[in-house]
Amino acid sequence: MNTAYALTQPSGAAVHVPAHERVVLPNGITLLVVPSPEVPLISFHAVFRGGPLGDSKPGVASLVAGLLDKGAGSRNAFEFVDAVEGAGGSFSTVTGTEALSISGQFLARDQSLMLELLSDAITRPRFEAEEFEKLRARRIELIKATKDSDPAEVIGTYGRATLFGSHPYGKPSTGSEESLASIAHQDVLDYYRAHIGPDRLILVFAGDLDVGALRRDITERLGHWRKAGTAAAAVAEPACARGRRVLLVDSPESAQTYFWIGNVGVNKRYVEHAALDLVNTLYGGRFTSMLNTELRIKSGLSYSARAGFTRTTAAGEFAIRSFTDTENTATALDLSLETLTRLKTTGVTHDMLDSARSYVLGQYPLNFETAADWASALVELEFYGLGPEYIDEYAAQLRRVTLPVARTVIDHAFPKADDLVIVLIGDAAKIREAASRYGEVTEMSLTQPSFSPSS
Amino acid sequence: MKRIPSSTPASADVTAAPVSAASAPGREAIRSTVLANGMKIIVWPVHNIPNVALYNWVRAGSRNEAPGITGLAHFFEHMMFNGTARRRPGDFDKLMEAQGGANNAFTSDDVTVYQDWFPRGALELIFDLEADRIANLAFDPEVIESERGVVYSERRLSVDDNNHGYLAEQVQAAAYVAHPYRFPTIGWPADIQSWQLRDLQAFFKTYYAPNNQTLVLAGDVSPEEAFALARKYLEPIPRQDAPEPVLTREPPQLAERRIVVRRSAQTPLIQYAYKAPAAADERAPALSLLLSILVDGDASRLYRLLVEQQKLIIDVGGNWHEGFDPALVWLYFTLPEGADPDAVQPVIDAELARIAREGVSEEELRRAKNLVAVSFWKKLATIDGKAQLLGEYDVFHGDWARLFDAPAQFERVTVEQVQAVARDVLDVNRRTVGVLLPEPAELAAEDAEEDLESEDA
Repeated sequence: MNTAYALTQPSGAAVHVPAHERVVLPNGITLLVVPSPEVPLISFHAVFRGGPLGDSKPGVASLVAGLLDKGAGSRNAFEFVDAVEGAGGSFSTVTGTEALSISGQFLARDQSLMLELLSDAITRPRFEAEEFEKLRARRIELIKATKDSDPAEVIGTYGRATLFGSHPYGKPSTGSEESLASIAHQDVLDYYRAHIGPDRLILVFAGDLDVGALRRDITERLGHWRKAGTAAAAVAEPACARGRRVLLVDSPESAQTYFWIGNVGVNKRYVEHAALDLVNTLYGGRFTSMLNTELRIKSGLSYSARAGFTRTTAAGEFAIRSFTDTENTATALDLSLETLTRLKTTGVTHDMLDSARSYVLGQYPLNFETAADWASALVELEFYGLGPEYIDEYAAQLRRVTLPVARTVIDHAFPKADDLVIVLIGDAAKIREAASRYGEVTEMSLTQPSFSPSS
Repeated sequence: MKRIPSSTPASADVTAAPVSAASAPGREAIRSTVLANGMKIIVWPVHNIPNVALYNWVRAGSRNEAPGITGLAHFFEHMMFNGTARRRPGDFDKLMEAQGGANNAFTSDDVTVYQDWFPRGALELIFDLEADRIANLAFDPEVIESERGVVYSERRLSVDDNNHGYLAEQVQAAAYVAHPYRFPTIGWPADIQSWQLRDLQAFFKTYYAPNNQTLVLAGDVSPEEAFALARKYLEPIPRQDAPEPVLTREPPQLAERRIVVRRSAQTPLIQYAYKAPAAADERAPALSLLLSILVDGDASRLYRLLVEQQKLIIDVGGNWHEGFDPALVWLYFTLPEGADPDAVQPVIDAELARIAREGVSEEELRRAKNLVAVSFWKKLATIDGKAQLLGEYDVFHGDWARLFDAPAQFERVTVEQVQAVARDVLDVNRRTVGVLLPEPAELAAEDAEEDLESEDA
């Protein structure tokens, strides 16, 4: 690997949280404002704590989120979307494992309209029965369509259901065909009353803002909003899986086997998160990772092989994801497990750590380029109670990671190859026998209307 | 995901511009130059983050293929990461990642585009790596075999195990009788398994000449330093004869074509592919806005009518393949389980006919223009978006500076122009219809076996 010029250790410019306002309003809203006038756009990000943690049945919070903009205040569903898109704006709702989020982006000239629409959606949603029925029916069909055309998209939902079981992280956050079918209109109304209110809300505005007008509008529109009254449910730390379990999801015509291999990882407050990022980059987080090198670069078995941690209030999952031709299923699984064992036993070298450090430092600023990026980043800090130092000091933390710290992380955060949940989506008739080599197999069909065999 | 072909359905989304982009901040700092060997370099200096985005546009896509070597342009894209006379397979990625850079690439029917995102300190390394693979690409026979497997896996992911991709590949193949746009960018299975070293060598010499490439950089770099590095690393690479132009013109389509595919599925699909103009056509802004009026967002015509009001479908999408040659406008529809496509199609057709007959409203056009405006500003907010848009305009519209004319062009479009383009394009005689019908898994498996037997015979 010769080069004709000197390659210096990249400086990896530090990223700093920009100047912003943070106030907690009397009714509990945490309000953050990040002015940034580069392009004539403004963004908002509204996050309610709890999300599916408050679900009476999986999918309730997700239906609530989807209905907030289907008619609110003086506008019916069509009038609302006409107002959003007529201005060239966007309004989208997402339900994560422990939050319900709404985000949007508008031209700066439409700030007052944006605030009106946002506050109507969260404080005066109509929840009309007809809109509820329509959305619920459509969501059920969309899950079937995704199963038809994108098995890699749904495999994580099967994985979490198998790994976390009855723990809240095991529930499908947007519901299953079966759970959605069981949800009644009243469930949505009950959820909204108990779980949506200013005391659950983190609200961030960023971009080319008129800050004075924003303050006035927020006070006027949201200052008197009634509280949700209940706190978001606490989440217990989930138990790690011991031994091996295999879920085989039968998709009879599938040309490939899609696989997910996981166990419980670490939570958002994990102290050595910089070291974790470096080790995971080396294991499964970039193109030349150990995993992609084995499954793609050296063997041509797969187009893609990756691994990563989902870090939430309580520990989420560590998961390996890849896919391969049906007949090579066992070869690819063996390689994945061998690579994990190699990480656990041999660990990483000093040179590997340096390369990962440069990579993570070099790519880090690309996550904080726009006002909308900062809106998301600040929501995350606030949600998990992390200070600005989580971002400001990240570069310095990366530079301090030593081999012994990397070893600690490998021992503590990465699962042993003997303790894993394995999910396979593929042609069961052809891979059933191979699957049985990896642990006790439970089987279900991809068209079964839920993400676990028992529910 | 890395090195993804933007194959089926054709990729180009309704990007492009609006709002007074004369005010696009920093555009006065953009500089371009043409090296002595014919390679064009465009630089947009932006210093908000210490990083640079690089896009290298090579005018080679599945449009430049022939039966027997379909998928070669895309396969070639993979091979561009796999070793040179100076560096072993894998060194390209290892060196780049060790200096903080990441990369990707995509292939379409028209172009192959290589992308790097890196901290400014890696600038010289990036020029060295990019020049090395253009000047000295080498082919390791073992790597070729291994990479065939990777591409086949990519095909299974995006076509064989994806009903949308599976149907679109059939529709695209049926929509053309002469033009190479009929080839799937990922390649037909038999071709993926059989192309040879000599095919790769010939393709490289013809299409990877510097005079067939346009390099765009946006970010923390000055035009002077980028031009100096380009002269040092890229200018010595010799110019080649221009590739043979693609002369084939698709003959006029005389009647609707129809493809019906039966396979294991829960949800039926319908796809329409209409013959449409080339990217550089003067009707381009009107056509983009028409498509936005039809399918962009929850207030769009087809979404509101078919999903919200009639509840006949669960999802609708569309795009226009903006290519060098006239290509397709796609509309696709996902139906709920148990729905009958024959009952849904007349409702879609009646609405499309109504638009051609009665046109669209001023409000609908305003909405489309505003949506396009926001997407323009969103793209211009990042160095990646800037590099992409400059390249797109230079390659498909002849000059990067036209990017900044686009907003005014979109603003000028009238409801009459939208109706006129709707009448021209949404012509049932010039479309190909694809329908995917679910059938029980056992039957589908038997069909697949029969297909294989007849191929062997």
